[in-house]
Amino acid sequence: MNERTSLPSGHQQDAQDYIRGLPAGEGWLTGRRQVALSRFAELGYPDTRQEAWRYSSVEGLLQQGFVALDADRNVAEREVRKEFIVEPVAGRLVFVDGLFQPGLSDTETGVEVRLAGLRDAMAVADRQMLEALGFLSGSGDHAFSALNLATMQDGALIRVAAHTKLDRPIELLHVSTGAASGLTLRPRHLIMLEEGASATLIERYISLDEGSYFNNLVCEILLAERSTLRHQRIQQESRQAYHLSEIYIALQADAHYEGVNAAIGGVWSRTRINTRFVATGASCELDGLYLAGDGQLTDFHLDVDHAVPGCVSRENFKGIINGRGRAVFDGRILVREQAQKSSAHLSNANLMLSRQGEIDTKPQLEILADDVQCSHGTTVGQLDPEALYYLRSRGLSEDQAKRLLCLGFASEILERFESDSLRQQLEESIRQQVEAGVVEVA
Amino acid sequence: MLSIKNLKVKVEGKEILNGIDLEVKAGEVHAIMGPNGSGKSTLAHVLSGRDGYQVAGGEVYFQGENLLELEIEERARKGVFLAMQYPVELPGVNNMTFLRESLNAMRQARGEDEVDAVSFLKLVRQKAKQVELDEKLLKRSVNAGFSGGEKKRNEILQMAVLEPSLAILDETDSGLDIDALRTVANGVNQLRAPQRALIVVTHYQRLLDYIEPDHVHVLVAGRIIRSGGKELALELEERGYGWLLEEEAA
Repeated sequence: MNERTSLPSGHQQDAQDYIRGLPAGEGWLTGRRQVALSRFAELGYPDTRQEAWRYSSVEGLLQQGFVALDADRNVAEREVRKEFIVEPVAGRLVFVDGLFQPGLSDTETGVEVRLAGLRDAMAVADRQMLEALGFLSGSGDHAFSALNLATMQDGALIRVAAHTKLDRPIELLHVSTGAASGLTLRPRHLIMLEEGASATLIERYISLDEGSYFNNLVCEILLAERSTLRHQRIQQESRQAYHLSEIYIALQADAHYEGVNAAIGGVWSRTRINTRFVATGASCELDGLYLAGDGQLTDFHLDVDHAVPGCVSRENFKGIINGRGRAVFDGRILVREQAQKSSAHLSNANLMLSRQGEIDTKPQLEILADDVQCSHGTTVGQLDPEALYYLRSRGLSEDQAKRLLCLGFASEILERFESDSLRQQLEESIRQQVEAGVVEVA
Repeated sequence: MLSIKNLKVKVEGKEILNGIDLEVKAGEVHAIMGPNGSGKSTLAHVLSGRDGYQVAGGEVYFQGENLLELEIEERARKGVFLAMQYPVELPGVNNMTFLRESLNAMRQARGEDEVDAVSFLKLVRQKAKQVELDEKLLKRSVNAGFSGGEKKRNEILQMAVLEPSLAILDETDSGLDIDALRTVANGVNQLRAPQRALIVVTHYQRLLDYIEPDHVHVLVAGRIIRSGGKELALELEERGYGWLLEEEAA
């Protein structure tokens, strides 16, 4: 047996012990954890012989030997509060090193919106909030999702009642501190919008210290008939962190999902977005921006399943690669035989700022229906020398010119982040990335 | 202000300029005319510092400094401005942001403070009005989707905001109808000042009806073969370039 695919036995034992040690109140969840653990044991860790992992080896991640333990937290509340978005929010869920922080959160939202920490909900066996856990992610082929379900520690539970329209965003902030170094964090979020509900969720992962840890998170999103979720996600972890986001979205009839992702930090970062249309008339827009600087690997996998007729999906991802950065983009759209009148448009554009960078991009449209509108396009390019000359001839330095052009390249994605302060932060990240001053090796 | 002596320039090994001499003093307007392919645009771009041109001989001094040794942006910050024949489209780069960063880069180089948002807005609005550029275009991406005339006006707007000491206009009249030409020329004329010099590069005389030059030079095959006053431009308009070439050959 290949060494990488075999499950480290210690790992499984840890997981078993962890499951046994859970509070009795959530005994009914234990079964689900056990099933997930068995599934993980069958799957093992992925390796690069699997197509979806071909360019993103987990070897380096496994070598780190991260363990699942509660961090010895010493929460610097003031430091965390400084990271809150400037705009007023409908509610706020704050996590430090994977664990919910009631003192920093704001869950007094009235009856239309329920916000809770997963651990608290498990402790009181809150079935209304927990029932759907693992429905979308549980029995799939994704080892890390299974492992997450088996050993999940905490996470955000969000439920918006039918016909409730929130005009302010809900903030989900995950902060990592130095105490997370050496640990695996396993947050799991569940977001449910009931019929006709509408909400905006701003979800961010940031680090207060430059620690090395593994954030292995899963986010399940259930959108009922005619509900709308605008979801803005930013991954800005420490440059030594490993980050894996696995997002599962199911859309009922006429539901709408609008997701925009930015992956900036981490030494190794992967985001997989699984979108499944369950009933007709739904639409899904996915936008994304990734920056892969020197020494970083940034990976996006999209899996959009047009399982039913009459749904619309649009995907637009842009990447900036600098130094010896590596990026992977794999966008798969499946339009099944019965999914007539589907519309699917996928676009991926990459800007290479150095000759040492690497991008592996693979748009895949698998179309089995005949009456559909589909397109895909991929580009890999460099900064236009004419544009650089033009900007410099107006007095801008080469760095300034590059920054403006990179921001221009990213602007259609950045514009989808509704918060001004977030956009400014992202622009600042791009500036730092561009000006990182990587020495070109001839 | 600008002194060009025996300037020789090659592009991909081929000699395009072979011995240009030109003296431009503050307050003067020089027109450089010539048939297509005579090297007019090459001269403009060499002064601005674009890559891809090899200086094979001669020298260029601008306000006492060796211009050819300066980077593109250093030349700009010292007051050299080239209004381009084909302004580049910059999708996603906001026109106002670009202008502001540009102005601030110039100010910083002069040791001045950055311009504040309110004064900047006021300045740009006033200048946009002067060159009759639709204010909506200020909020759009630089030149992206602009018409030919809008692009040229945008160049003149930049010039008006940045107030260079030496402005070079490369075929600014190409692709403009007569109204646009008049507006652009009007914008240029407002910049005429005793401390500022202009070099107007053009194929046709008609721009010079609106921007009256002090000196006219005819550039043919990489050399200035005739210099004169504004009446030379009129003569060229009437008789074309042919007679000059014949005289030159004789």
